[in-house]
Amino acid sequence: MAQIVAGFGVPHTPVFPFFVKRDGPDCEIAKLFGAQRQELAAARPDLIVMFDTDHLNTFFLNDLPIFAVGIDKTFKAPNDEPREVPNYTVKSLPGLAAHIRAAAVGAGYDIGMTQNFSVDHSVTVPLHFLTPEMQVPVIPFFISGHLPPLPSAQRCYALGQTIARAIASWPENLRVVIMGSGSFSLEVGGPRMAPGRSDGVPDPDWAMRVIKSMEEAQIERLIGEATEHQLLKAGNVGGELLNWIAMLGAIGNRKPNYIAPQMQNGHAYGVWRWN
Amino acid sequence: MSTYAVNYLCRELLRDHAFRAAMKADPAVALTLLDLTDDECKALLAGDVGTLFRMGVNGFLMGYLARFEVCGLNVGNYNERMRAVKVDEIGQPVS
Repeated sequence: MAQIVAGFGVPHTPVFPFFVKRDGPDCEIAKLFGAQRQELAAARPDLIVMFDTDHLNTFFLNDLPIFAVGIDKTFKAPNDEPREVPNYTVKSLPGLAAHIRAAAVGAGYDIGMTQNFSVDHSVTVPLHFLTPEMQVPVIPFFISGHLPPLPSAQRCYALGQTIARAIASWPENLRVVIMGSGSFSLEVGGPRMAPGRSDGVPDPDWAMRVIKSMEEAQIERLIGEATEHQLLKAGNVGGELLNWIAMLGAIGNRKPNYIAPQMQNGHAYGVWRWN
Repeated sequence: MSTYAVNYLCRELLRDHAFRAAMKADPAVALTLLDLTDDECKALLAGDVGTLFRMGVNGFLMGYLARFEVCGLNVGNYNERMRAVKVDEIGQPVS
């Protein structure tokens, strides 16, 4: 049977690959992703299921699902030209992706799907640092975390639980890692940018509260506080927290091995590994 | 919705390199290909991203206007013009 062996929370800032190429392996970003890369290798994954919010690249305003899963043998990455990121072809497991979708629909979630698709930096940048050989298949699961109405935190957590049950019912012996991609507080291109920058962190206190709740495995507190109002208050991409919450639903309410904040970006690097 | 066309052109700046080149060369000509209102067209050509945001255009997508430096925009003046928009606690424009 397939089993979930770890959870990871990852940032996806599109300029990070450029910064690491410019600043070298001793810079903070390289070290933080490097530590996660070691943890991921130790987890020996056969598959990564990544909860992600697409930035209107895989989907657009003419066709925008609240939830969707990518179902194909491979997909292309990235489709939005982040600097210093090669063009990758990422393997996937379409049979299991379709099984996850069917199980979630059966449980009452209306899950869209995409085939013959590509993904943007929000999937690609973490993989660029964590599995640069693209040797591990990836199933991307999209959660609409940018444009209200947002799905509720409770629903995303429960969706994660549903997907965990779907994975557990898959007969193949696979070690599965769940990832959640995104920020806790970030405004990109909107009025709450910091002076002179293209982004900003409107609610750093919220980002710290999120991390504290995760460190203490206080998931009910986190879900209770992560209202749509709070997520929007945290920035125009603050809803990306929902990807971490879905990941936590999939792995169960555990304390992390560590969560390393990077508060100037309103995000963190988290590892939950028990097997 | 009319703002759809503005959001669409912002994303096409990223995806369609020929359109990007046309916008850099002569945005007044390139914009004639799109179904824009006069007010949208005027605001775009002026690089008035604040007005466009108040009209309902997506801030994240408009960042591509500055990234690819069209309509006289760059990261610096885009930042100043967008930050001049008054917003409420959840980032929505207020009058």
